[in-house]
Amino acid sequence: MISFDFDYERPGSLVEAVQLFLQAEEQGRLPLYFGGGTEIITLARIEELYTEAVLDVKCIPGMRALQVTGERIVTGAALSLNEVVQANVYPLLSATAGKIADHNSRNKITLGGNLCGRIIYREAVLPLLVADSEVVLAGPSGLRIVPLRSVFDRTMRLEKGELLVQIHTPVEAATASYAHVRKNQLEEIDYPLVTVSALWLSGRIRMAVSGLLPYPFRSEEVEAALNGDGSVEARVEEAVRRLPEPVMADIRASSAYREHVFRVVLMEILEAWEAEGGEWGHEG
Amino acid sequence: MGVIGKSVTRKDAGEKVTGAARYVNDRHLPRLLHAKYTISPHAHARIKSIDTAPAWQVPGVRAVILGEQVPILTGPILADRPPLAIGKVRYAGEPVALIVADEEHQAELAASRLVVEYELLPVVNGPLEAFADNAPLVHEDIESYHNHGDVYPQPGTNIANLFKIRKGDMAQGWATGDVVVEAALGFPQSDHAAIETRCVQAEVTADGQVILHTPSQAPYEIPEQFERFFGVPAGQVVVHTPLVGGGFGGKGAVQLEFLAYLATKAVDGRPVQLLNSRERDLISSPVHIGLEARVRLGATCEGKFTALEIFYWFDGGAYSQMGVVMNKAAGIDCTGPYRVDHVHVDSYCMYTNHPYSTSFRGFGHPEMTFVIERAVDLLAKRLGIDPLVLRAMNAIQPGDTSPTRALLDYSNLGDVSACIERVGELIRWDEGVRQEVGPHKVRAKGMAALWKTSTSATDAGASAVLTFNRDGSANISVGVVEIGQGTRTVMAQLVAERLHESIDRVHVSLDVNTRKDPEHWKTVASSSVMLSGRAVLQAADDAIRQIKEIGAVALRAAPDDLAVARGRVFLRSNPAIGMPLEKVVHGYRFPNGNAIGGHVVGHGHYLMHRVTRLEHETGQGKPGPEWTVGAEAIEVELDLRDCTYRLVRAAAVIDAGRVLHPHLATGQVMGGMHMGLSFGSREHFVYSERGVVLNPQFRSYKLLHYGEHPEYLVDFVERPYLEGPLGARGVGEYGLIGMPAALANALSVAAGVELYRLPLLPEQIWRARGGDVR
Repeated sequence: MISFDFDYERPGSLVEAVQLFLQAEEQGRLPLYFGGGTEIITLARIEELYTEAVLDVKCIPGMRALQVTGERIVTGAALSLNEVVQANVYPLLSATAGKIADHNSRNKITLGGNLCGRIIYREAVLPLLVADSEVVLAGPSGLRIVPLRSVFDRTMRLEKGELLVQIHTPVEAATASYAHVRKNQLEEIDYPLVTVSALWLSGRIRMAVSGLLPYPFRSEEVEAALNGDGSVEARVEEAVRRLPEPVMADIRASSAYREHVFRVVLMEILEAWEAEGGEWGHEG
Repeated sequence: MGVIGKSVTRKDAGEKVTGAARYVNDRHLPRLLHAKYTISPHAHARIKSIDTAPAWQVPGVRAVILGEQVPILTGPILADRPPLAIGKVRYAGEPVALIVADEEHQAELAASRLVVEYELLPVVNGPLEAFADNAPLVHEDIESYHNHGDVYPQPGTNIANLFKIRKGDMAQGWATGDVVVEAALGFPQSDHAAIETRCVQAEVTADGQVILHTPSQAPYEIPEQFERFFGVPAGQVVVHTPLVGGGFGGKGAVQLEFLAYLATKAVDGRPVQLLNSRERDLISSPVHIGLEARVRLGATCEGKFTALEIFYWFDGGAYSQMGVVMNKAAGIDCTGPYRVDHVHVDSYCMYTNHPYSTSFRGFGHPEMTFVIERAVDLLAKRLGIDPLVLRAMNAIQPGDTSPTRALLDYSNLGDVSACIERVGELIRWDEGVRQEVGPHKVRAKGMAALWKTSTSATDAGASAVLTFNRDGSANISVGVVEIGQGTRTVMAQLVAERLHESIDRVHVSLDVNTRKDPEHWKTVASSSVMLSGRAVLQAADDAIRQIKEIGAVALRAAPDDLAVARGRVFLRSNPAIGMPLEKVVHGYRFPNGNAIGGHVVGHGHYLMHRVTRLEHETGQGKPGPEWTVGAEAIEVELDLRDCTYRLVRAAAVIDAGRVLHPHLATGQVMGGMHMGLSFGSREHFVYSERGVVLNPQFRSYKLLHYGEHPEYLVDFVERPYLEGPLGARGVGEYGLIGMPAALANALSVAAGVELYRLPLLPEQIWRARGGDVR
């Protein structure tokens, strides 16, 4: 049960949404954009989140776009994860999103909510980082389209009142070979110890990781190590050495075990890739 | 009609599959107020001050109650627990203040607004820390607590109870043996995690009657405790228990009932509901006990067990509740179902600054079975004897005595050897116990044998009343709680069997009202079919006797010449001469209007006999009426790289004495296995260095999900228990008891290292393997 009162509004346009947000912000009502609401509801009931105004953005035109044009895959930020999985416009995104939370929750959790939320894993960002996706943002000064990697640094770095509207992904990502491996403590439905999403484009592996550090990341240094010369084991060791910071520890695993699991995942992906000679979609 | 041994449709099936079944929280009242409690964020701290003003500022608040306003101590055995903390808090999650408000969210908000200032005290963060010299004391003056049982707290220490077994001559036991294995084992506390969180509605009527609606496993114990602690005469307290959404022992403890009563008293007796959120239910209400243990098992080189020494330190948490009986229960059956002539056990229940522990399915037995069964596997490896063969060789038999020197016979002891043999067949033990199935994958099997007697009150009993409707069908009134186990359906089967009646003409209501339904001790300890089953059989016999008396007049025959079957009473020698039951069960009326006889009301009762208290220095005595026994096994597939594993197949064979309802019995065993695997593989509390539970949510406290379970194989052995209803033994808890031990044994074989701690998380296995897996 959420013990405090808050207003719920459902703006009909991007302009209205941004306007309402800024107004509420001005009034000190700590507004939040509301997608599926899973995070807001579950954190509010244990008093880890407080707001006096939520703005439900699911009915705004364009927020639920889903189409493949000549060169890009357009996914609206208000699509539920299950809708994204089922549409399967981008197999690596489907594979990654399909392992987040559980089926019931994925009926609610939105793509945008997963990217912009507070819970640290934000796994749906992984396939978008490796595909060099672009994002459409609506803010006080109108719409802008920017590379995801220019605004995603550990979290989405949005301006005050800015709203994620759509994600545009190059179509080449949909046909590329890919791998997604997620390892949990033990339970299938849990936060990950390590999630890796990888794409092979132009003969190189691209990889983004969640669970290992307290934020998702794609690292050029780590990728360079994986694409280097030497045995699979040597490349994996070098990749681990190049991690941007020490591996995290929490109630689910120590940093030593997490790092070990990361090694196992990398070995699994690279070995399987070399064994198959390049044409595959690997999920583990 | 032959309904025994048949899987008749459950009496609660329709309500449950349609979702119409009503639980306490489904009962809506127009004037219902709501209570919530503020909890301590600290595991051990002095309460310096409480500012209630911010709570009073929340609209709708009607009462704020603090511990010092309720200067009483409660507890079923040792009265050591204030309903609301007084002076200091002893665990994180402990209720410190109670708020009553018009709406639930108002009470919740006020509870979170209340400001409590604490001064932190040193924390006792586990049972071994509690046992250490100079440990901080969780309770300073345990000698002052009222003691309502055979419990021996030791003043000046954190020992809430010490139970001892002294059997045989240890020096002789060690001397006769050739080898000794030893190990230190343990696991943290966890929870029952019933789907229905605890919820109580309470009111006090104008004439002073206390009315409670609660999903309790012990509704008849509540009036007794209200009299003891609040001075309300037991007869003034009425407890209603509707369907209960799972309890697993956790709902045997009386806790929210006290708080809900304090809440209603503070608002002039108006009905108040107190509903636990999941987070509160996991840590504020009592939990599953933790354990640290040391075991030494000696044997001859042929494999004959000669001596056993065990030290248990149970993590009873901040208050003793049933923990001080669970350490005894573990001690009395410490050997497992094996003959050991020389036994030395010191079993401690320790106070710690953890959530307080209470009964959990198996009551000390899954815990002690983990200890002994790991030791048996160590011994098998040391001796090079097949673990199944070693178990079969030492299986306890009629004529042997239990650790408390109770004499076992063909009735009070199930057939251990038959269970071990059959479980070996089910799991295909002879095909090998370890097999590599891929470059990094190993399949392995492990097993455990098990037994348990009930450790109930020595006078635990039940009674039953049978009445009849105008169509001649019967109504059973008993005090067993319907908690998903289906006992009330079995009661209907027993009556139908005795009356030779269709099961559809025997009715049971699914709720308990302590003022109307005759008492059933508690719905715990796998003893409900035993206690209430014997009572309903006697009630049925009593009703038949009365029916025959009336029928004898109506049919002009001797009562002994009559029979009752298929809804009729008739001449045994000529069934055509008779009449339907509806003509006699409310007295018989002659054609001229005269009537004789009266309403038939069958009455029956049953009390446990010849169970004794146990001698303090040696544990000698007869702790329970009978020992149900069994054997379980599991096959796992371990990935040697990351040490994750899959549960492949699990088997259980239980000696049920006689299986009354195959689907229900199988369901009980299978559910128990699932729970045991969940506890053994993942369920546990993670404590901070300051003793705070860090995972009080299903987001972080994980249970074994459907889909991750193994293939379950369940079978029964039937060596009748001559006192049981139609030969039946209790089965409710037994599926759980051996599973954690069997899983640890299987994974130890698979991993090639000995695993001594639960839960068996992959990281733990990886560490035991030295973290070097390639």
